[in-house]
Amino acid sequence: MREMFSPLPERLWNRTTAAHLLNRAGFGGTPREIDALVSLGLNKAVASLTNPDEDDDLYPLPHLVDPATRMVFKRRMKDATDAFARREVQRELQQADNRSITDLRVWWLNRLRYTCAPLRERMTLFWHSHFATSNQKVNFPWLMMSQNSLLRRNALGDFPAILKEISRDPAMIRWLDLEQSRREHPNENFAREVMELFSLGEGHYSEKDIQEASRAFTGYRVNQENGAFRFLPREYDSSEKTFFCRTGPFTGDQIIDMICERPECARFLARKLWTFFVTTDPSRENISELAVLLQSNHYRIAPTLSTLFQSAVFHSPRVIAHQIKGPVQWMIQTTRMLEIPLPDARVLESSLGALGQILFAPPNVKGWDGGRAWISASSLLYRYNLAAYLLSGKARILGGGKSSVAVIPLEKIAPLSVRNDPDALLDTIAFRVFNRTLSTKERAQFLSFLSSKPRPFTDTVIRDFLQVMMSTPEYQLT
Amino acid sequence: MRTPRLETLHTRRSFLKTSILGGALAGTVPLFLEKTFLCLDTMAAETSGQHPTGKDATILVILQLAGGNDGLNTLVPYGDDAYYRARPQIALPRKDILRISDYAGLHPKLTAFRDLYGEGHLGMIQGVGYPNPNRSHFRSTEIWQTASDSSKNESEGWLGRYFDNCCKGADPSTVGVAIGGQTPQAFSSATPKGVAFSNPEQFRYMSEAASDPAAAETLMKEMNQPQETEPSSLSENSGGSIGMIDGPGDDMGGTMEFLQRTALGARMSSDKILEITRKSRSSVAYPASQLGNSLNLVARLIAGGLPTRVYYVSQGGFDTHANQIPGHDRLMTDLNAAMSSFTTDLKDQGNFGRVLLLTFSEFGRRVSENGSLGTDHGAAAPLFVMGGGVKPGLHGTYPSLTDLQDGDLKFHTDFRSVYATVLEKWLGAHSEKVLGRSYPTLSFL
Repeated sequence: MREMFSPLPERLWNRTTAAHLLNRAGFGGTPREIDALVSLGLNKAVASLTNPDEDDDLYPLPHLVDPATRMVFKRRMKDATDAFARREVQRELQQADNRSITDLRVWWLNRLRYTCAPLRERMTLFWHSHFATSNQKVNFPWLMMSQNSLLRRNALGDFPAILKEISRDPAMIRWLDLEQSRREHPNENFAREVMELFSLGEGHYSEKDIQEASRAFTGYRVNQENGAFRFLPREYDSSEKTFFCRTGPFTGDQIIDMICERPECARFLARKLWTFFVTTDPSRENISELAVLLQSNHYRIAPTLSTLFQSAVFHSPRVIAHQIKGPVQWMIQTTRMLEIPLPDARVLESSLGALGQILFAPPNVKGWDGGRAWISASSLLYRYNLAAYLLSGKARILGGGKSSVAVIPLEKIAPLSVRNDPDALLDTIAFRVFNRTLSTKERAQFLSFLSSKPRPFTDTVIRDFLQVMMSTPEYQLT
Repeated sequence: MRTPRLETLHTRRSFLKTSILGGALAGTVPLFLEKTFLCLDTMAAETSGQHPTGKDATILVILQLAGGNDGLNTLVPYGDDAYYRARPQIALPRKDILRISDYAGLHPKLTAFRDLYGEGHLGMIQGVGYPNPNRSHFRSTEIWQTASDSSKNESEGWLGRYFDNCCKGADPSTVGVAIGGQTPQAFSSATPKGVAFSNPEQFRYMSEAASDPAAAETLMKEMNQPQETEPSSLSENSGGSIGMIDGPGDDMGGTMEFLQRTALGARMSSDKILEITRKSRSSVAYPASQLGNSLNLVARLIAGGLPTRVYYVSQGGFDTHANQIPGHDRLMTDLNAAMSSFTTDLKDQGNFGRVLLLTFSEFGRRVSENGSLGTDHGAAAPLFVMGGGVKPGLHGTYPSLTDLQDGDLKFHTDFRSVYATVLEKWLGAHSEKVLGRSYPTLSFL
């Protein structure tokens, strides 16, 4: 491939680079998982991520209020004898929906926690922020679930296909008001965002292009009976549109194809992929080379990422351990690293809320900003305390609730063989926690903590040690 | 600007080094901390006789009434028959209204508001809204928080942009304090600023989770100290193509330094906030509600001299679709009691004159009641401004109850004019820089 993506020399494929790959292309792992990846060799290691063999339906979906049940609610509302009875039914539905969205979140988080196809999930998370749709407006968790399946199905597929599918996705249709788009009064919201936020970026199209495109996306509806896409020919504007200087009776799909032909589209997607997987401040060359790579792969994500992940540039010391973990990344990576299950639903909801990443509720159509936007004084302290909670199980740390005793497999994290030797203990734990070797100064700081403790080091000391390691700026990076 | 008194500066700097940083950082106090204290000193030097804790800067308290407060049953157009026609079952009886004019008056439970009005400390801005109103809670709240047009999506909050534009050099963690579990979108900016907590006892590092808290705390402090970034230990173990990542400077030093700075800011502000809230007690009792607790906390932080100029609190439950009278009564009772305690407290402190409280809600409600003794999502509504610096009384006119737009009141005052007025006349900020456009300022300040 091109010089930008010249492959990482075989001799540099080691625990550090393998851990880096697992952190960025997935959600990290244990030293054992990292060693397994090392022994595969770079090429096969990357292939195991880009071509996962985990069945897509391995995780049974949660039972949410489905469209048929919702129809029953709607009928009961219609049949209600008075306004109060109607309110009562509405409240019942709202409660069921609230349960549904929590169940859905917990379901996805568990899937992220246990999946053996981490890149597919990581890309699903990427698309969720890219096509940022919030249940706050959609207000129909079952539709959010079906959008999530769409994103997963296409996670490593080709971009124009995802765009076309997302234009017919019922949650998206609701989110960007396509339901209100009529032949006589096309709604421009979707047409605008499809170009501004999904494919080209601001400044690469005209207002006229938006108006013309919005006519092509008319007639897109949601079938209330089964929650599927429905095309309504009588609301579709089949007349000629002039889009990017071409004229014809374009359909929505044809508009998407024309968008994807623009060089800005490849650059836009390249920038988002680069900032998500590599660094937050790519150079022009980084972007243009990745855009060329995308185009030469016909916008297919898997082969593009395969080249990127095998490149030396991806494994550069200025990339490794330079990315701020997002809240979901932090949570999944931490529980995988400690080999513990996720905390209960209540803690998941409140902590990810406090840290600023509630799945299925991105803050706005632009999705999560990521990077430094994750970190404020409050959220940083919260991360430190969340680590303390996960290690101790003391609910008081997070402001109350039920305490439990956290079961951490400390015998795995710090085997007896290293409990008499501070240096060996530090190496073992630090690799698990930070996935890299420490600087001299860091070593000295951590060793001074251990020096005052009696040997062999007890579980209690190990737990304290983990807590402090995770209460550092360093632990926020991956 | 007068030159800060050197003596004070020296004192502050040694205070910083000795007490907060525990002496560990001799000589390397981060620049932003120096600036923070320099600003405070300058501020103090400009107003003679005050000690340098930001005691004289004006303060803004935002009170969000979440869910869409029914403006018509808050500032009631009791002089208009159209009000009683549109709401045969839920209109408030004329005789109970706390009259402000022949046309409009306050909800019967808002007695403290009436008293504040009588003292000349309450302004009521009528008919506030924005063009093409959106009736989704989520979207309309977002519009108010970001001060965007209803057709545009902005991700940065209006206060976040104020922090970015007007608080350069200040400690980013204490430019704004939000009471609640999540940072309001109004605070969001490219690099988050301000802090959010519902309980100050939670806004600190819980070293006691460790079995040896003292040792944990010591190492934690050491690890969270801004320090020289060492040459990376990664070079020998990873791909060597450093030259290919030649972006503008977000290198390890940049991100690490940012995290260390934030960590230090978090520790300092949490120490400060805890110290203040543990020692300062209010002179008055507050209602035992969430709003009461929040305003109590804000009053104590103000009393303790936290150099924060923007506070954010909220009261929920205003989405009164059904059987609204008892529910809305309870909300008004709570709001009234909390406001009464807060203003009395501030007066006792001697800080009433430098605090401005501004209420807002994402929208008002429909003029006509619905079939469930409630009201549905509407548009324009009145909002309140309260404080020692306010020009009292009604501002603007009450929107017509008969000339409606889709069943809703038509706004005549853009909420961004309210923001512009607060920014220009209260916070001394350049509103166009913050709001991206120039809006006419109003006369309530």
